[in-house]
Amino acid sequence: MSELTRLRRSGTTAGSGGRRAALWRLAPWTRAPLLGLRQPAAVVAVVVTTAVLACALASAPLFLSSARSAALQQQLAPQCAEAGWQTTGGSLSGLTGRTPQQVAADADALRRGWAAQGRESRRVLLVDRALGASGNQQSGMLVRSPSGEAVSQPATMLWRPDVTRRVEVLDSTPGPGVWLPASYAAAADAAVGEEIMLSGVPVPVTGIYTDLFETDPGAYWCDWDDLFLNRASSDVPPPALALATDEATFHRVAVGAGFLTVVEQVPTDAASLTAARTRELLAEEHRALTAATAAPPPTWTGGGVDDRLAAALAGGQRIASGLRGPVVPVAVAGALLAVVLVAAAGSFWADRRAAEVRLLAARGVGPVPLAGKAALELGVPALAGAALGWAASRLLIAALGPADDLDPSATTAAGWAGVAAFVVGLGAAAVVAGLRARSTAERPLGHGPHWPARVPWELALLGAAVWCWVLLQDRDAVVSEGGVAQVNGLLVAFPLLATAGAAVLLGRLLTALLPRLRRWAGRRSPAVFLAVNRLAAARPATATLLVAVTLPVAVLGYTATLTASSQATLDAKVGVQIGATRAVTSVSRFAPTPAIAAVGTYVVRYVGSAATEGRRTDVQVLAVDPDTFAGTAFWDDSFADEPLADLVAALDGPAVDGRVPVVAAGLPAGDPDLRLGRLPVPAEVVAQARVLPGDRSAGPVVLVAADRLPDVQRTAGAAPVAEIWTNGPAGPAIDALVDAGGRVSRQIEPGLVQTNANFLGITWTFGYLSALAVFVGVIAVGGLLLYLEARTRSRVSGYVMARRLGLARTAHLRSLVAELAGVAVPGLVLGSVLAAAAVALVYRRLDVDLLRPPTPLLDLPWAAVASSAVVVLAVATLAALYAQRAADRADPATVLRQDA
Amino acid sequence: MTGGFTGTGLVKRYRRDAETVLALAGADLAVAAGEFVALVGPSGSGKSTLLALLCGWETADAGRLAYRGWPADRRPDTLGWPELALVPQALGLVADLSLLDNVLLPARLRGTAAAERERASALLADFGLDHLADRYPHQASLGEQQRAEVARALLLRPGVLLADEPTAHQDRGSADRLLDAVTGAARDGAAVLVATHDEIAWARADRVLSMRDGRITEGPPR
Repeated sequence: MSELTRLRRSGTTAGSGGRRAALWRLAPWTRAPLLGLRQPAAVVAVVVTTAVLACALASAPLFLSSARSAALQQQLAPQCAEAGWQTTGGSLSGLTGRTPQQVAADADALRRGWAAQGRESRRVLLVDRALGASGNQQSGMLVRSPSGEAVSQPATMLWRPDVTRRVEVLDSTPGPGVWLPASYAAAADAAVGEEIMLSGVPVPVTGIYTDLFETDPGAYWCDWDDLFLNRASSDVPPPALALATDEATFHRVAVGAGFLTVVEQVPTDAASLTAARTRELLAEEHRALTAATAAPPPTWTGGGVDDRLAAALAGGQRIASGLRGPVVPVAVAGALLAVVLVAAAGSFWADRRAAEVRLLAARGVGPVPLAGKAALELGVPALAGAALGWAASRLLIAALGPADDLDPSATTAAGWAGVAAFVVGLGAAAVVAGLRARSTAERPLGHGPHWPARVPWELALLGAAVWCWVLLQDRDAVVSEGGVAQVNGLLVAFPLLATAGAAVLLGRLLTALLPRLRRWAGRRSPAVFLAVNRLAAARPATATLLVAVTLPVAVLGYTATLTASSQATLDAKVGVQIGATRAVTSVSRFAPTPAIAAVGTYVVRYVGSAATEGRRTDVQVLAVDPDTFAGTAFWDDSFADEPLADLVAALDGPAVDGRVPVVAAGLPAGDPDLRLGRLPVPAEVVAQARVLPGDRSAGPVVLVAADRLPDVQRTAGAAPVAEIWTNGPAGPAIDALVDAGGRVSRQIEPGLVQTNANFLGITWTFGYLSALAVFVGVIAVGGLLLYLEARTRSRVSGYVMARRLGLARTAHLRSLVAELAGVAVPGLVLGSVLAAAAVALVYRRLDVDLLRPPTPLLDLPWAAVASSAVVVLAVATLAALYAQRAADRADPATVLRQDA
Repeated sequence: MTGGFTGTGLVKRYRRDAETVLALAGADLAVAAGEFVALVGPSGSGKSTLLALLCGWETADAGRLAYRGWPADRRPDTLGWPELALVPQALGLVADLSLLDNVLLPARLRGTAAAERERASALLADFGLDHLADRYPHQASLGEQQRAEVARALLLRPGVLLADEPTAHQDRGSADRLLDAVTGAARDGAAVLVATHDEIAWARADRVLSMRDGRITEGPPR
C-alpha cells in the first residue's frame, strides 16, 4: 500500500464519513436543520434579517404602548400625587341629632367599599360647611372664642392621617382637640389649653401651627391648598383651617356642623402607570364606589370618583391614537423592507447550497420541495432571529422609547409580531430560495431575466403615493383633537411611498445605462474597467444596492429635516410668543434702566386697534427700546424680507406727516389709524414683516419706539404691561425689574409651552421616523454585507486568476472602492434629491400649532446630512477593504481546483 | 529565453484535518521548449498539485524547480502571463467580464488590449466561440468556458503553458481543436505540460509522463 493511500485511509476521513452517514440516517425533517447549520454564513444572514423583520414588526405595538404610558405619566406628573390615586368621595348631611359613633359608622361606607375590593384606603375627612343660625348651609363653621365671642372668619376642619405632623408647630399639648393656624388663634384670642366652640361643639385647642400660606407646605398639602391659599386674591380669605387631632373629635364636631365630606384614597405610583393598569384601577374605583353605595347610610347625600386619572388616561389615549396614524405605515414600510432583506438571505442560502440544490433541481425536484427544503434548513435560524428581534425591540423601547412601562397586551402583540416575523420571514426566504434554485437550474444559457423582474412594480408605490397626496389635499396635515396635536398618517405615508417608489424607479433606470458605460470603461484603467463591469454584470444586485443606499439617505434626510424644521418651528412659535427666550412681566409701571439693557430689552405691551378693510381690528402694540430690541428679540430670517435690525432702525426714522413711524405685521403700509385703548396715536407703517416677536394672540403686531409714544394714561384702557425680554437666566431679569421699581406679576418660560404634553405626539412621531431611518440604514448595511458575501466566491476566483494574469493588488482594491463608491455616491445624491423633493412638498403643511405664528420654517440638518454621507462612504470603504481581505486570504490552489 | 523547465525531487505535503497527505513524493520532470508533454495519472495522484507548484501557487517542501532562461532565484508566481500561462482545472474566468474581455484581460492589464483584440477574436473564432464573445461566463456552457480559458492562455504566446484537464468538458471535435492549438503553441516554442485523462491527448503529445502516488515515471501508465 502506498504512503498516500495509507495516509488517506487513516485519519479523519473515515470518521467524518461516519458522522456524515449518521447524519444521513436521520429523518429529513430532523436532518435538514443540522444540514442548514453547515452554512454558517447563510445561518447568520437569516438570523440577522429575521431579527430585523421581527424588530420592525414588534416595535410598533411596543412603541405605541410606551407612548401611551409616557403620555399618561407626563400628564399626571405636573399635578399633585393624588391626581393619580384611586379616589372615592362622598358627602354626609343631616348629622345633627346623630351620635358621633353613628356618624363614624356612616363615614365608613366608602372604606367598606374599598375593603370589598381587598384594598386598604387612606381617609380624609373635611367639614367645609355647616348649618347657620337660620338653618341654611354656610361656608365654614361658626367659631366662638374661649371668651364666647363669635369670630368673624369661619373655619373649616380637616383630618387625615398624620395631619398634625405635617405643619410647623408653634405650641401644642397632647390629647384630642383641634389645632389652629397662628393668625386665626390670634384673631380668636385662643391659646393652647383653652376651649373654643366649633358649630356649637366645645373643643379644646391642643395645638397652634404656622399658617400654611406662609410656609412651603410640601407635597402632603398639594391637593388641599385651596383650603388655605387665597387664589382669587379676594378681599374675603378662605375659612381658617382647623386640624382635628383624631377622628373622634372630628365626628363630634361634624355632628354640630351637620355636614361632612369623606374621601378614601388608595395611592398608586403614577410614574409607572400604564394605560391598561389605569383602566384596571378606574374599574376597581367604580366597583369600590358601587359597593359603598349599594346600601347607603341614611345621611348619605351622594358620592363619586376623582376624574383626574380618567382624564389623564383619555389624554394619553388621544396622543397614542394620534401616533397610530403615522407609526403604523412606518412600521409596515420598515417590515416590507425587512422582508426584502430576508428574501435576499433566502437567495443567499440558494447560492451557498448551489451545488446540492442544482443537483436536486436537475433530478426533477420542483420549486415547492426546494422551498420546503430551504424552510426546514432555515427554520431554526429564522426562529432564533425572530426571538432575537423581539428581544431587541423590547430592549430598544426600554432604552429609547418614551417610557418603559408597557401594557401586557402590547407585550403579547409584540410576541405575536415575532411569530408573524418568523412565519413571514421563513416563508419569504424559502419561496425565494426555491424559485432562485429552480430558475438557476432550469434557465437556458443566455436567457434573460423572467418577466416579473421586468415589471416596474415600483410604479404601484408611486401610484399609492399620489393617492395619499390627493387624499391629503382635503385633510389637515396636523390636526388637534382635544388639544392634542396629531400628525396625519397620510403625511408620513405619502413621502415614504413616493421616496421608495422613486428610488426603485431611478435605480432601475440608472442601472439600465450600465451596459453603455462598459464601453467607456474599456478605455479607462483596469480598476475602473473591472468596477464598471462588475456593476454591469450584476445589474439587479447593483440596482438593489443603489436603492438600499438611496432609501435610508432619503428617509434620513426627510425625517431629519422635518424633525429639525418642526422643532425650529415649535421653538419659533414659542420665541415669537414670548418675544425672546423668556420674559418677566409687571402690571406696575417702571422705567427702563441700564441694568435692564444689560440683561435684555424693555418692552411695554399695549392693547390697541387699527382700521383694516373698513373695520377695527385688535392690535398688539409693543413700545420697544430700539437700541436693545434687535439684539434680544427672537428672529428668523423668514419673518421679513429684511433683518430685524433694519426694521427696528426704521422706528427711529423721521415722522411722516407728523405720524410716528411703526413697523407692523398683519397691517398694510400707510396710516393704520392706530389707537392705544381709546387714545388715537398718529402712526405710519413704514416697514412690514410677516411675523414679529411678541405676538401672543396671532393678530397684527405693531412695533413703535417707546420714546416716541405719547404718555398713555391708564384711563385710556390700553392695559399696559411692562416686560423685560431676556435670553439669559430669569434671575437677573427679575432683579433688574424689581430694582427698577416693578413688581413681578408673571414669568413666561419656554417650558410653559414646549413641554406641554399636547405636543408629545408630534415629538414622538418624528422620533419614530428617525428610528426608521436608522433602521433602514441597518438594513442597507445588512444588504451590502449580503451582496458582498453572495459574490465572494466568484469575486475571489476571479481575483486569484486576475492576479496571475497581472492585476496588481492595489488596482484590485481600487476597483473595489470604485465599485462600491459607484453605488454609494449616486445613492447619496439620489437620496438627497428625493429627500429634498419630499421635504419641499410636505414641510409647509406640517404646522404643529396652527393657532400661533410663524408658519412652518425650514431647517436643514446639515450635521445629519454630512453624517449620513460620511457613514455611507465609510461603510463603502470598509466593505471594500473587507472584500479585499477576503480575496487576499484565498488560497489560489484551492480556489481554482475543480469545484465539486 | 531558451524556454523549458525542470523539477527535481519535488516534495509536497499538506494537512487535511489530522491527516497528513503526501501529494508529491520526490517528483522529477523536465519539459523542453517546443515540447508538448502529457501528464497522466489517476485522480488524486498529484497532477494538480504539481501544476500549482509549477505556476507558483504552491511552494515545494523539498526539491528544486528551474525555468531555463530565468534567474534561478526567481519565484514562478512572479512570472508574467507571457512567460507562464495557465489553464486551471476549475473555471478561472472572471465572472463579471464577457468571454471576449476575459480573453483580452491579460493584454488589457499590460495596456495592449487594442493591439491584441484581433488575435483574441481570432482565437475565439478558432474555438467556435465568436458568437458568444459578449456573453458572460455563466451564460456559456462548461466546455465553452474551458475553450475561452485556453484562448486566454494562448493570447500572449506564452513561453510555458500549463493546462489542467483542458479537454475534460469537450466533445471530440472541440477537444481536437484545443489539442491543435496547444500543439501549435509548442511548435511556436512553448514548453507545454498538460495534465489529462484524455488518451487521444497522450497520442498527440511528444512525450507522456505518468504520475502515481506523487511520483513521476516516463511513458504512459501500465
